[in-house]
Amino acid sequence: MKILVCISCVPDTTSKISFTDENKFNSENVQFIIGPYEDYALARAVELKEKNSDIDISLLNVGLSQNDPLLRKGLAIGADRAYRINSEPNDSNFVALNIADFIKKNNFDLILMGKESIDYNSGLVHYLSGSILDFQTFNPVIFLDLDTDNRVIIKRETDSGIEKIKANLPLILGCQEPIAEWKIPNMRGIMNARSKDLLVIEPISVSSSLKYEKFTLPPEKDEIKYIDKENIETLINELKLKNL
Amino acid sequence: MSTLVFIDLNKSKISESSAQAATIANQLDDKVYGLTTYNDDDYISSLGNKGFDKVFKIDDFKNFDAIKETIINHKINTIVSPNINLFKELASKISIKLNFSITSNVLEIVDNNSIISSIFTGKAESQINVDNENRIYLLNKNIIDSKEFDKKVDIIRIDSKISQNDNFEILDQTLIEEDISLNDADIVISAGRGLKGPENWKMIEELAKKLNAATACSKPVSDAGWRPHHEHVGQTGLKISPKIYFAIGISGAIQHLAGVNSSKTIIVINNDPDAPFFKAADYGIVGDAFEVIPKIINSLS
Repeated sequence: MKILVCISCVPDTTSKISFTDENKFNSENVQFIIGPYEDYALARAVELKEKNSDIDISLLNVGLSQNDPLLRKGLAIGADRAYRINSEPNDSNFVALNIADFIKKNNFDLILMGKESIDYNSGLVHYLSGSILDFQTFNPVIFLDLDTDNRVIIKRETDSGIEKIKANLPLILGCQEPIAEWKIPNMRGIMNARSKDLLVIEPISVSSSLKYEKFTLPPEKDEIKYIDKENIETLINELKLKNL
Repeated sequence: MSTLVFIDLNKSKISESSAQAATIANQLDDKVYGLTTYNDDDYISSLGNKGFDKVFKIDDFKNFDAIKETIINHKINTIVSPNINLFKELASKISIKLNFSITSNVLEIVDNNSIISSIFTGKAESQINVDNENRIYLLNKNIIDSKEFDKKVDIIRIDSKISQNDNFEILDQTLIEEDISLNDADIVISAGRGLKGPENWKMIEELAKKLNAATACSKPVSDAGWRPHHEHVGQTGLKISPKIYFAIGISGAIQHLAGVNSSKTIIVINNDPDAPFFKAADYGIVGDAFEVIPKIINSLS
């Protein structure tokens, strides 16, 4: 079985976000990580491979060469090879079209992504890729296991609860905890990763209709109002005053 | 050219998010259409007061061919929808198959070609220019108050034949038993490790009941199994934007704030006066939750 795990490379969750005078993301002093949701997806793929050695895991990122160390990390965690589509991930549509094109050319049974990337948070790339390829897409998926006859069992969250589903392949899944525990590469994994392939592919051209015109930080909050714990009624009155 | 709103239901009524989307659609267009799977014509007729002129009834949002035809026949060029997974999936399909531009986490529609979207999990915003006559805006909740309208609704039934065979089978459905869904709640009562153990959630639930609120928790709490995973709000959990968010015994790590920073009013209760959450709060109470919460419950009685 061929699994593709698509990862984003994003600022660490504790990063302070700021922008330069040229209206660009300020990456100074920012540590980049594999997106936390994709990190779960990769961990689950590796767990499945540990139980079934027929599984082959490819890793894919749309990004520039500064992401290569994170792709190497993914190889150290247990992916068999990595691909990088050599472009800034301009918008969801651009990323989805490039991923879909790659999947068409390389045939995968199971495509794992995160529920969303934590930089632009669109949460659309899995659905868009699925629409381009006419592949069934589920999101967010909190459980994944292999079944017989090239099928998988998953659980996904819906607005009203959790659905357990048996689905045919090919399939695209947007993953979320607790699908797996994050994995940390061990020394052997790191050594092995050095000899695995990291292949760079040029992007297909996509005419984009979206332009990120301006970045700003959210408006500052008003000063906090402290309420004395002996005087809780004050809080209730304040909320009533604000019509809340 | 006309504007379509996807109608999501909450307990057999239009959800507040869809009502808000309809209000925004009315700012963009005189004629606003709705799409629903709801079947009760009497109720649908009453949706004129939410700003709808016409409502299309369909059996299933998965019936893409019928929806596609409706969009083409009724010259729909703008779609405004709550930013929920059910509609994200449908919107993505429309975007790809009918060449609509799509943006999610929309905080404001500035004009026909420009929107503001929330990025970096609420830590920043971006103004995006949309250079396409056809566009879909997936709106964050509570970016506007829904308004009342005085319109008459035309109900149109779309003939439905499910156009595709599902290649999956639903084996089992577990419904989350909660009175108020976390996504749709106006008030959320959230608690963290400061509560010391799962047995102490009774007072949280009691307060939630009093305020008609949903309950939530921080990541360490759901990781420890004190509360179910679907209650976890934060960077890797659910992102919510209620009108009031109570954070009780939660220190306010940056990952937690990322999931709740778009709440209208944040009330922090913590016995540590240096808890970072106070910096993000509108109201703060320094004190022991076990002392403060019963007092709040009392003063609400």
